[in-house]
Amino acid sequence: MKETVYLGIDVGSVSTNIVVIDRDQNVIIKEYYRTMGNPIKVLKNGLKALRDKIMDEMVIGGVGTTGSGRDLANFMVGADIVKNEITAHAVASSTYVPDVKTILEIGGQDSKIIILRNQIVSDFAMNTVCAAGTGSFLDRQAARLGIPIELFGDLALKSQTEVRIAGRCAVFAESDMIHKQQLGYSQEDIINGLCEALVRNYLNNIGKGKDILPPVVFQGGVAANKGIKKAFEKALNCEIYVPEHFNVMGALGAAILAQKEVENNKTKFYGLNIADIEFKVKGFECSYCPNACEVIGIYKDDILAARWGDKCGRWQNIEIESPLS
Amino acid sequence: MTIKVGIPRALLFYEYAPLWISFFNDVGAEVIVSDKSNKRILNNGTIYTVEDACIPVKLYNGHVLYLKDKVDYLFIPRIMGVYEKEYICPKFCGLPEVVKYSIKDLPKLINTKIDLTKSSNMKDAILNMGSYITTDKKRIISAYEKALIKYNEHKSSMKNTYINEQNEQIMIMGHPYILYDEYLNMNVIKKLKSYGYSCITPDNLDDDLVNEYANSYPGKIFWLFFRKMLGSCLYLIENNFFDGVIYISSFGCGIDSVVAETIERRLRRETNIPFMLMTIDEHSGEAGFNTRLEAFIDMLEWRKINENNISTHGNNLYSRENNIRGVRY
Repeated sequence: MKETVYLGIDVGSVSTNIVVIDRDQNVIIKEYYRTMGNPIKVLKNGLKALRDKIMDEMVIGGVGTTGSGRDLANFMVGADIVKNEITAHAVASSTYVPDVKTILEIGGQDSKIIILRNQIVSDFAMNTVCAAGTGSFLDRQAARLGIPIELFGDLALKSQTEVRIAGRCAVFAESDMIHKQQLGYSQEDIINGLCEALVRNYLNNIGKGKDILPPVVFQGGVAANKGIKKAFEKALNCEIYVPEHFNVMGALGAAILAQKEVENNKTKFYGLNIADIEFKVKGFECSYCPNACEVIGIYKDDILAARWGDKCGRWQNIEIESPLS
Repeated sequence: MTIKVGIPRALLFYEYAPLWISFFNDVGAEVIVSDKSNKRILNNGTIYTVEDACIPVKLYNGHVLYLKDKVDYLFIPRIMGVYEKEYICPKFCGLPEVVKYSIKDLPKLINTKIDLTKSSNMKDAILNMGSYITTDKKRIISAYEKALIKYNEHKSSMKNTYINEQNEQIMIMGHPYILYDEYLNMNVIKKLKSYGYSCITPDNLDDDLVNEYANSYPGKIFWLFFRKMLGSCLYLIENNFFDGVIYISSFGCGIDSVVAETIERRLRRETNIPFMLMTIDEHSGEAGFNTRLEAFIDMLEWRKINENNISTHGNNLYSRENNIRGVRY
């Protein structure tokens, strides 16, 4: 008999993650792709790779989607549950670290803190209008210094002297870094300073007023960075736990939620062969009212299948033809 | 020909609309109110306003632009304060200038100064407001008296029986021009309703009650908006039948930096009502906003499921035997 597995998809701004878990919530497959601004293509390729991998040995019993592209992914795959990333992250963490009290999550464009008490989310916060102190900022600085992001953390650990970098704003941090660099500070020290600045900014902004108690779990793509982990440990004065699947926790949470959602029912999943379907998006600006909503239509093999982006809901009815643009 | 008076549908319009409209109608003017906020109004406002202004002010200029060529007068009052020794954001005190120096070729302004911070005498201000339309002082005073009745009727119609101790309800706080402008707040009230929660705003609470609670605050109430929000907050603390509090603030609001912070601290210290601060700005992408809202609702639902399940030892809520790990949905 084929093994029943559950699929979790997290379409984020920087990475698209696909996770497959078994009935006992063990991770069987996890894939981490860079979204590169093209979620449809990346997701399709990911599903293609998944199809090759699981062949005929497993059957997908349920699918959950999360991340900022969760609705798009839901439309493409037919998900059983579509959940925001905050809940998905909390679910995954509390499954693998049952007594977790604080979750620090830093992703590409988002960073969040989730406070749990007695396995229940009691409070959370997410960065608002500013993306300073998220993964994309580190990415950018790594590129500027010509260092692969993967080495960032190890370099930070080699730092000997403390260098203080302004962390309030990514733009200011960058100019501060350049100044320090021109004064001759070593690259390791500057990188470490940057890690500490990011952590300071995170704790002052998102962590402001939150009761951060151990056990603390640190997840999201940035958790790969040992420098940040160390900086958190220094700032919070407690051990920080980075779970094994730290970079796919959102997808993992979605998979767990899917398993719960489906239970013994049949999944709504369209099947892995959707990887062969041609998906296209075409947008237009609606001219019916001054809101001029940017409406997006998604086409499945050239047939309009769904539309969103309008405030009034006029275009949700796909019987109406899109205006020629 | 009747004189046309334009009132921008922004800022304190959301507080005083019935009063202003009724007053100008009764002194003999034709009142034109700008359309509900939309993208075009915001875009135009953004172009004509200094970069650092908050989004409600940008929107205000957008509404002024909408009315600019349609009216003889624009009603842009200079509101200094409406309670003794309680002040309002400086942008309201200088609103006629904010508009005048942003937009050229304006119609004439009715920029009456309304200042009740030192005395509660409105008469001069009322006569000034009316004098742009008519010279008949009696008519102006009686128009004001009638308008005041309309305003009070409107206020009390908002009070009624919204609050229910059984219902699932969320208190939404923020300045009235954010709470009641659906475009600005991305339709938050409708969205929360679609999740099955009713929304209460500080305006739904009885004014006397709010004032009574606010007066029990040991500190000085410097800002006008602080009174309503603080009073509501203290009311919430004593009447624990709200599931959550969402405070919507516009990016860069100086007053909210004090008010929202005080409210949050108070609530967290004295209750376990979930609180969330949402900051809005020019971005029109609703995804981030919706994500937070959804997560907040999830949190409330999650709490509810577990409410009856809290173990006295504070751990092991779930049992592996039932294959329920951590969460139950």
